[in-house]
Amino acid sequence: MRDDIDGNRSRAGGAAPLGDPSPARIPLSDLPPDPHRLPPPGAWFAGDAERHLLDKPKFCPMCAASIEVHGGISTEYWVSDQRVFMTWCGECGWFGDVVRYDMVTITEEEH
Amino acid sequence: MLTVEQNEELTRVGPGTPMGELLRRYWYPIAFEQDFDTVPTKTVRLLSENWTLYKTPKGGKYGIVAEACPHRSASLTYGVVHEDGIRCGYHGWKWDFEGNCVEQPAEADNQNFRDRVKQKAGKAEVMGGMIWVYVGPDPAPELPRFDVFVMDGVKDCGYATLPCNWLQIMENSVDPHHVEWLHGYYFNFMGETQGFDAPKAFQKKHLKTGFEEMEWGILKRRVLEGGSEENDDWKVGHPLVFPYFMRVGGAGIDQMQIRVPVDDRTTWKLFYSNHAPDAGAWEAQDRPVVYEYFWRDDEGRFITDYIEGQDIMAWVSQGPVTDRTQEHLGRSDAGVAMLRKMFKENMKRVANGEDPLGTIREKHDMIPLPCERDKFGAEREFAEAFITMGSMRYSPQRQQLLDLHADAWARREKAAAGA
Repeated sequence: MRDDIDGNRSRAGGAAPLGDPSPARIPLSDLPPDPHRLPPPGAWFAGDAERHLLDKPKFCPMCAASIEVHGGISTEYWVSDQRVFMTWCGECGWFGDVVRYDMVTITEEEH
Repeated sequence: MLTVEQNEELTRVGPGTPMGELLRRYWYPIAFEQDFDTVPTKTVRLLSENWTLYKTPKGGKYGIVAEACPHRSASLTYGVVHEDGIRCGYHGWKWDFEGNCVEQPAEADNQNFRDRVKQKAGKAEVMGGMIWVYVGPDPAPELPRFDVFVMDGVKDCGYATLPCNWLQIMENSVDPHHVEWLHGYYFNFMGETQGFDAPKAFQKKHLKTGFEEMEWGILKRRVLEGGSEENDDWKVGHPLVFPYFMRVGGAGIDQMQIRVPVDDRTTWKLFYSNHAPDAGAWEAQDRPVVYEYFWRDDEGRFITDYIEGQDIMAWVSQGPVTDRTQEHLGRSDAGVAMLRKMFKENMKRVANGEDPLGTIREKHDMIPLPCERDKFGAEREFAEAFITMGSMRYSPQRQQLLDLHADAWARREKAAAGA
C-alpha cells in the first residue's frame, strides 16, 4: 500500500515525491462510481485525486453509516508523510480526524 | 481535496441547490440608504437571482420583489412605487409587499386571474445605514443585530464587487497563517521594492492557531511570536460569523467583513467599520460614509500595496470558482476543512426542516461578538496601519479617522500620566 500511495504522490508533479515511481493508473472501473469524476488523465494532480477517492473514509468510525449517503464530508490534508481525513458523519455527528499511517512513529519527550 | 460534485455543492448558490437553500435562511445587506436618496428603486442581485428593491415615497418602507414581472417579465425596477407596493411600468400590474397581485388594470375585474399569480417577494429592513433583505421561506428569522452595525461610533464602509465565488473568501477567514505571509512577508517585500514601510505587526510568526465552533460560527485564535495564551489574540480571538461574515478589529476599530454571495461567480465585498477609541470624541452619525475601494490598476494588475488588496489578489486569482479538485491542503488548513464541514452540517439541517446555525428568532438589541482589543500586541501601530494600509485608505474621511484615533491616544496618555 505504501508504494501505491507514494507512487501516486510522486506522479503528482507539485506534490512532494515520497517514494518509488508509480504503478499504472488505477483502472476507472476500480474507482468509486459516479458522481466521483476525476481530473483529466495526465493532469499533475490526477494521482492525488485518485488516491483521495480510493482512500477517504467511506463509513463513520463511530456508527458505521455511509459518509456520503448521509451527507457527511471527509476533507483530506497532509502532515508530512501522513494523510489526514477530517471527517464529519451526517448520521451521528461524529467529527474527527481519520489518519492513514504508513508507519507509526512516536516522539519521545525530553526526560 | 474535493470531488467535482462536492465543490459544486459547496459553491452553487442558486435556487434549488443545497447551498442556495441554506444561504436563503439568512439576511443580507444589499444596498445603502443613500442609494434611495434620489431614486425609489434599485436592481440588486443576490443568490443568483435579480431583485427589485424599492422604498415607498412617504413611509420610507423598503420592499423587495423578484425583478421580472410575472406578467411578461418587464423589469419592476422601472415600476411605480406606491405606499402599499410596486406597480409594473409596462401594464400596471401591482404587487404588494408579500408578492400578491392586487391589481391587473387591463383585465376584467370579475376574474380571479390575479389570485392565480404571485411574485417572489422577500423582506427588507434597515440597520447600520444598510438595507438588509431576507428572501428565504417564512417565517423569516429576526435580523441579527451584530454589534458593529448598532454600536455608537464613526462608521465607514468600503465596498467592491469581486469576480469570484464567496466561499473562497470565507475560507480565507479560517486561514490565520496567510496574515503572516501575505500581509507580513509579501507586504514587506512590496515595501522593500517600492520604497515604503510595511507594518511590522503583521509580520509576527504564528506559534499556534486554534479553531473552536461557537454559537455564531468558528472562533479563531492565534499565539504570535513574543506572545502567549494570555494575549487577546488567543484569550479572546475573533470569529468567522457563519455563513458570510468575519468579525475583526482592535485598537478602537471594530469591523465586520461582509461577503454577499451575488451569484456563483460574484461577491459583493464590504468592509464595515466602526471607530470608537477609548477617550475618543465624535459626532453622532446615522449613516456610514460609503465609498468604493480599488483593487486593479490601469493595466489590470492587482493592487497589492494594501492589506485588502493583497487578500483580493489571493481570492480572485484563484479563478471565479476555485477548483478544489486540485488543492493540496496541509495541517495549517484545518480551519478550511472545518468550515466545509460546518456548511455540510447546516445544509443537512435545512434539508431536515431545522434552523441552521446562527438563526435567531428572539427580539434583541445587540449581539456582542468576541473580538480581541489588543491586536497583535501593537495597538497604535495597528490602528494607523488599519486605516492607512487597508481599504480605509480610500475613505473620504480617512484623515478624520486618523485624527480621531490620534486625539484619543493623546487623551489616554495624558490621563495615564496624570494618574
